[in-house]
Amino acid sequence: MSFFDLQGTLKPLTALKQFGKKPHTLKDIPWKKREASDRYRGLHFNDLDECIGCGNCSTICQNAAIDMIHLEGIEGKKGDSGLRPRVDNGRCCWCALCVEVCPTGSLSLTKDYIYVTEDPDAFLWTPGVDNPDGAERKSFVSDKDHSLNDFNRIPMPELEGKERVKSFAEVVLGYNEQQAREEASRCISCGICTEVCPDHMHIPEYINAIASGNDKDAVKIIYDNNPLPEMCGKVCTRRCEDVCAIATRGDSVAIRWLKRYATETAATADLTHEIVNPEIKEANGKTVGIIGAGPSGLTAAYYLALRGYDVTIYEASAKAGGATMYGIPKYRLPIESLDKQIGYIQSIGVKINFNTKVGKDISFKEIYDKYDTVFMGVGFPDAWPLGVDGDDAKGSMQAFRYLYMINAGDKVDIGDKVVVVGGGNVAIDAARVSRRFGAEVTILYRRRVADMPADWEEIEGAEDEGVHIIPQGIPTKIHKDDKGHVTGIEYLKAKMVADDKGGRPRPVAIEGSETILEATAVMAAIGQMGDYSFLPKEFEDKIKIERGRFVVNEKQQTGDPKVFAGGDAVNRTADAISAIADGFRACKAIDEYLSK
Amino acid sequence: MKEIKDKMIAQIKAVFPEAVNKDYDGNRLDLTVNKEAVPSVLLYLKDSMGFRHLSHIAYVDWIEQGEFELVYILWSPLDKVKLYVHTRINRENPVIENIDMIWRQANTYEREIREMLGIEFTGLVAPDEFILEDWDDIPPFRKDFDTLEYVNRTFWHRPGREDAQDVRSTISERSGEEIPDFAKKYSR
Repeated sequence: MSFFDLQGTLKPLTALKQFGKKPHTLKDIPWKKREASDRYRGLHFNDLDECIGCGNCSTICQNAAIDMIHLEGIEGKKGDSGLRPRVDNGRCCWCALCVEVCPTGSLSLTKDYIYVTEDPDAFLWTPGVDNPDGAERKSFVSDKDHSLNDFNRIPMPELEGKERVKSFAEVVLGYNEQQAREEASRCISCGICTEVCPDHMHIPEYINAIASGNDKDAVKIIYDNNPLPEMCGKVCTRRCEDVCAIATRGDSVAIRWLKRYATETAATADLTHEIVNPEIKEANGKTVGIIGAGPSGLTAAYYLALRGYDVTIYEASAKAGGATMYGIPKYRLPIESLDKQIGYIQSIGVKINFNTKVGKDISFKEIYDKYDTVFMGVGFPDAWPLGVDGDDAKGSMQAFRYLYMINAGDKVDIGDKVVVVGGGNVAIDAARVSRRFGAEVTILYRRRVADMPADWEEIEGAEDEGVHIIPQGIPTKIHKDDKGHVTGIEYLKAKMVADDKGGRPRPVAIEGSETILEATAVMAAIGQMGDYSFLPKEFEDKIKIERGRFVVNEKQQTGDPKVFAGGDAVNRTADAISAIADGFRACKAIDEYLSK
Repeated sequence: MKEIKDKMIAQIKAVFPEAVNKDYDGNRLDLTVNKEAVPSVLLYLKDSMGFRHLSHIAYVDWIEQGEFELVYILWSPLDKVKLYVHTRINRENPVIENIDMIWRQANTYEREIREMLGIEFTGLVAPDEFILEDWDDIPPFRKDFDTLEYVNRTFWHRPGREDAQDVRSTISERSGEEIPDFAKKYSR
């Protein structure tokens, strides 16, 4: 190469011939800022309010780049773990699987790909905190149709409405094995549901066991803290499903139906015993007397018997199960199912004295003196009357009493036109039972249908079966004939008025809107109440009853340290799973009390 | 377009009767052939049917069926037809003929597939390593490769991540739920 050979130096300058010409590829540059492409996968953004901290992003990350951490100002609550994701950008490969599996859709990737800082170790990135304005530059977002989550529930096979009213056959038919596995596979195992379950059942664990084909393990896990799981699998109020992570954008996992599926694989009491294979501790010589064989009493009895206590239950009726036996119609909870579960509880050594009403057949004092501790799961055996003119007419009754008598096998004359007053599950149950006896049924409710406390599935079921619902009607009078039989019910139409105190809207009667509805029977389903007449005065003072319920501490212990209580007569939620939770808590407390 | 595709299928079937075709909307055509037939099919498609361009070789691990799948994606610039040639290879003994004498760029794809999926191409001349350096595990794009396990084994955790919480135990501690040991194997 000679000294004068300047080719290598000057050649690049030939590029100058393009100077000033319009570029072919990059238009508008440098005037317009370059924007990343659609669906570009840049830095993470998380909508902190939408995120429920399920941790699915952290679980899926194949680079172990995502941690779930506590953030200041975000508290855990029901339906939210309180944790939020943080990404290690030194590990992230921007595959976006975390976005694809996010059930709420709160996590996304933005168009941002430049991040400058003086700290060479600043790789930890909390989406939403470190880029609060990231929402404006979202690029790769989760979309429901292409998400890796399955938002659609496997439909539950049911009897047709017209078929149902012909008999008391069970309406819900239950999943088969394949349906159950598919439904269970939708669960992301976050466990957010367990917090709202009053009994804190191990939901993700047993659903996972079903998903992996181990039904026996599922049954064993379920029986860890619930001795009446098939009942819950059929009729539970399932608050768990309300907070299911999948329910944020789709149908919640059918937790209740999956529990039902698992427990039904243990078809008999013996088989249940074989699968659960409970460890029964050696008898410790201590005794527990239990009043009432409802869910709370049975639960306390079962777990106390497992711990070696000698347990005896006193039950006023001919069958165990309490409100689940006598309050729930058989098309929802067949008697065989309940018998199987109670048979299993008896098989591990729980003794039940049927037809023994405390206060009549045996005194409370006798039980109190005979046993080392007493648990009362006495429930709410009475119902509120309607409290209007003509309430005493023949054919005017309480829906709860009606259900009790039908379930006990008695005949009740209801005629062919039934009006049920109320909007809870008892009202719907009484209406649907009356339909099965061929009556025309109308439900009269003070508020709107949307305000009904009953399960929406039950309301829909009732409508399918031809039950007519009149919302916003306030009953004022029951009409009767000369012989004192009900002929009709008079009601006032109501308008909904917003509550000044911030409560739910109140119904206010519209004057002059009296309407008479023809009826042969009127059933009041406006609430139940306790009957504590079995308690002698000396105990009543000590045990304490306030606003119709026993007062207990967090261990279910009443004012008398030897007496524990649970179920409807204690908690305000008044459902079976709360009663089971009470019984389970009482069992632990009694064990602790007697082990001292 | 339909006519062009039908004509193509007829022509291919005349020469390779065992080829199975599947039709898609638009200008896409799919063909499944035995792995032994791949070089001759591709050569015929290139020389006699105008599929002059190899766009890509895609690969799938069908672990449950014990097979790998290769998809040669061809393009005919004249007829504007995309042709996907599928073939399955036994996972136990994954060997197939090299085709880089038909399209030179196939060499690069084959190197990648050899490294990431572990398929051997008979007669492939290329350096041993492609992207991975000193790789001593099973090929990482196989479905039985546990990425998370590998990552945890290979890379240290950055300081400052010690405050990470487990969602399930955060919730169970808060509600007082006691998860029995025999159930824990089903926890996330």
